[in-house]
Amino acid sequence: MAFWIFAALLTIAACLAVLLPAMSGRASAGADADHDLTVYQDQLAELERDVERGVIDPQEAAEARAEIGRRILKISGEKQMAATSSQIGKVIATCAVLMVPLASWGVYSVTGSPDLPSQPLEARLSKDPSESSIEELIARAEKHLVANPQDARGWEVLAPIYYRVGRFQDSVTAWRSAISISGQNAAREIGLADALTAEAGGVIVADARQAYERALRLEPGNPKARFALAAALSQEGRVEDAQKALRELLADLPADSPWRGAINQALASTNGDDGNLTSDNAQSEMIENMVAGLDQRLREQPQDPAGWQRLIHSYVVLGRMEQAKDALARGLEALGADSEAGNELSAFAAERGLSAKE
Amino acid sequence: MIAEIGHFSLVLAFTLALVQFAVPLAGTRLGDARLMAVASPVTLVGFALVALSFATLITAYVQSDFSVLNVWENSHSAKPMLYKVTGVWGNHEGSMILWVFILTFFGALVAMFGRNLPDTLRANVLSIQGLVGAAFLLFILATSNPFARLTPAPMEGRDLNPVLQDIGLAVHPPMLYLGYVGFSVCFSFAAAALIEGRIDAAWARWVRPWTLAAWIFLTGGIAMGSYWAYYELGWGGWWFWDPVENASFMPWLSGTALLHSAIVMEKRSALKIWTLLLAILTFSLSLMGTFLVRSGVLTSVHAFATDPARGVFILVLLILFIGGSLALFAVRASSLTAGGLFHPISREGSLVLNNLFLTTATATVLLGTLYPMLVEAVSGEKISVGAPFFNLTFIPLAVPLLLAVPFGPLLAWKRGDLYAVAQRLFFAFGGALLVMLIGYFFVDGTGVLAAFGMGLAAWLMLGAMTDLALKAGVGGVSGSVAWRRFRGLPRSVFGTALAHFGLGVTVLGIATVTSLDVEEVTVMRPGDTLPVAGYALKFEDIAPYRGPNFTEDRARFTYFDAAGRPKGEIISSKRVYTARQMPTTEAGIATRGFSQLYVSLGDVAPDGGLVVRVWWKPLVLLIWLGGVVMMAGGVISLLDRRLRVGAPARRKTKAVPAGVAAE
Repeated sequence: MAFWIFAALLTIAACLAVLLPAMSGRASAGADADHDLTVYQDQLAELERDVERGVIDPQEAAEARAEIGRRILKISGEKQMAATSSQIGKVIATCAVLMVPLASWGVYSVTGSPDLPSQPLEARLSKDPSESSIEELIARAEKHLVANPQDARGWEVLAPIYYRVGRFQDSVTAWRSAISISGQNAAREIGLADALTAEAGGVIVADARQAYERALRLEPGNPKARFALAAALSQEGRVEDAQKALRELLADLPADSPWRGAINQALASTNGDDGNLTSDNAQSEMIENMVAGLDQRLREQPQDPAGWQRLIHSYVVLGRMEQAKDALARGLEALGADSEAGNELSAFAAERGLSAKE
Repeated sequence: MIAEIGHFSLVLAFTLALVQFAVPLAGTRLGDARLMAVASPVTLVGFALVALSFATLITAYVQSDFSVLNVWENSHSAKPMLYKVTGVWGNHEGSMILWVFILTFFGALVAMFGRNLPDTLRANVLSIQGLVGAAFLLFILATSNPFARLTPAPMEGRDLNPVLQDIGLAVHPPMLYLGYVGFSVCFSFAAAALIEGRIDAAWARWVRPWTLAAWIFLTGGIAMGSYWAYYELGWGGWWFWDPVENASFMPWLSGTALLHSAIVMEKRSALKIWTLLLAILTFSLSLMGTFLVRSGVLTSVHAFATDPARGVFILVLLILFIGGSLALFAVRASSLTAGGLFHPISREGSLVLNNLFLTTATATVLLGTLYPMLVEAVSGEKISVGAPFFNLTFIPLAVPLLLAVPFGPLLAWKRGDLYAVAQRLFFAFGGALLVMLIGYFFVDGTGVLAAFGMGLAAWLMLGAMTDLALKAGVGGVSGSVAWRRFRGLPRSVFGTALAHFGLGVTVLGIATVTSLDVEEVTVMRPGDTLPVAGYALKFEDIAPYRGPNFTEDRARFTYFDAAGRPKGEIISSKRVYTARQMPTTEAGIATRGFSQLYVSLGDVAPDGGLVVRVWWKPLVLLIWLGGVVMMAGGVISLLDRRLRVGAPARRKTKAVPAGVAAE
């Protein structure tokens, strides 16, 4: 509401700026020649001062005086057009006054978003947490951690939230911070390894594998770490070893362990033809969800160069070259093919055997 | 809501600009005083609306309101407050708002201080200002709206380009725009004169202060930009003949010619065509600079966003403004009456020579700037026209002009005596020769060219002083009389002398830096010492440091003079701005007199040492100091009372005593 009142006031002020002079202004303008005369008289005075100072010799001064005199004669010979007000002038003024509100409200109704409130960052960060969105809560936590970077608990709370909203890189950083401050334990190492895996689009990269191994050392027998390491073996193509590891894990687990189902499923799938542990089980489903989520998010918020790189990488790892190409094309469109980010994306894709030109 | 108010007032300003264009113009055509009277109030309110809009955008930046797309793209909540504010114009959309803000500011100045102008002239000038303003406001609203919103709003922005996070951003763009856009007033005056078909000495006097003001700011803007590039980019260079630099240099060259032409026109009613065309050319070159920078045909720190639609839009504007004003000129050219006659050897003649050299120099720079783009457009081949081209073409044009500068102010109007002037410049010439010989034989490392450059600088400086001395009557009258006359000289005489002296100062800086600078590139480890130009530079240590929105490795150096006394500390660093993960080099600079020791860090060598580039830049500060002196000259000229002509008293007889009207 305040906006509309303010906008109306501004419009009225603008209309008055046109209306008042057009209606009440004086009917005739001063003669232009008077202004010219003032200038020439001033030039004469200046000439006299120069003569006094001696910066100009008398003969030169006389010539200049004669020349200025001729200019003055010339303007007094010119006929002045008397300025008046006319009927057509009133029509023009009326049209102009009407055009100001019509055109401005017309244009603004197309380009503006009058109902969108301001969102200053301070206010967003200090409002009641229960009303805040997850992004606002994350930003608040981030702000706290910038001020108190040694708050290990803060990092530990934030890291899984990052993971859930798909900010895997930040999740990795948060887990690393938590580990560096309060030391290693199995849960942190597994969190770090999961984030690293998600960051790589579901591939258990060397860093992630080492983290799972550390977790296993810290807590021998941890089923999650053992399962993931078996999956890593399978990803490396060592299917036999993977199956062996899974069977050992199954033997060690108590009868009511929630992992049994997943392991049995994984074993069943590796017994099939493709021999890939991750192709058809809970974990691959999770990866699918993650990639699909990332894809969806980038459709909504395409200005994310790192996100596009992650998506392309994921599709390439999953072997879906068509979708990778499609993602590259969309990414280039969103970032601008000639922009710096676009060029980086092209280079990133080229390293993975993709080209935008095809 | 705040951003929406800004958006709405921008739209309102656009419609008012249309009114400002159409209504006063109709008034002057119809001879309707009421319509003409609309010009000033509409201009002032239009300025207030753009100012409000600009203020709301600044507020959105200060509050980190990331629901405004432009703020999200170019700001960051951790950025220091200064850069939150300056970041407003550190991007395409915001800088266009600044552009229009300054444009309407100049319009408002004309409306407020233009009471001495005839009503029709003022109405026409404001009308043309309105047209330019409307065109640019339309451009902003259609292609580069800074008030576009983003919902849901992100929690953090993407930060400003780190290279721009510097105090230079607070000074360089506003000053440069004050210069660029200031010339729009001259353009409007020229177009108004052509519309009225009336152009005379009085017109030239009215247009002169605006030309001078724009020229002062443009000089400052270019000098500041050059100094900024020098210390921020870490290459130790101060001018790169980069197309964007050229884009600002061309209006300066033609604006300088305009400044001088307008003097002739005011004094002698001559050079009308020169003055009109230069006014059109100067603003056209300013517009072209905007086009080059904003269309994406160039890649540089200045090219914020590459959007072909914007380029096409500005190109169309450019064609309309240049084409329109030249067409108007073609229609009116026949009615321009010839002014006062003059002999080729005279003040007027020397200023024609000045115009010829300056416009040819402008054309040369224009060719060198556009040629690579034309070649690329036609054949797709990328070529680069670099410093060698400009050194071969621009310098041979500049040197004769600089040699002629001291003659100009000493020549008489109408017919001068070159021989007598040469005699009077005898001391300046002797002094310059002496400097040249001393430079050649007694300064290490000078070649013939460097000595010549120093001599040229001395010639310009001594020539300017000779002018002052002669006008005071030194040699002809007694000391006390000369002193009194000196103090009584018109300010414009001091302005001329200072501006020409400043030119000499800049030439001296250029001559010494280009010929005598020393560069060392080496790998250093903490504790190492490197001898540079009589100093010893010691690498003390390197340590990490954390800034508000960056982290950096700070290398600490100390330097010692020849006798081994410590002279000071130099901090040079390599920064990474966290939000964009973008590295920058922060050069460390120590100033000794007018010279500088410049330390820039390179990469870490495989063996752990640090690549360090060190320059000794003798008298480098004079390059920009000369610009400051030129500006001072301009300011003093602007304060001269002859540029402050009062308005005629209404309804008074014409027998006003001349002395009264002058004040």
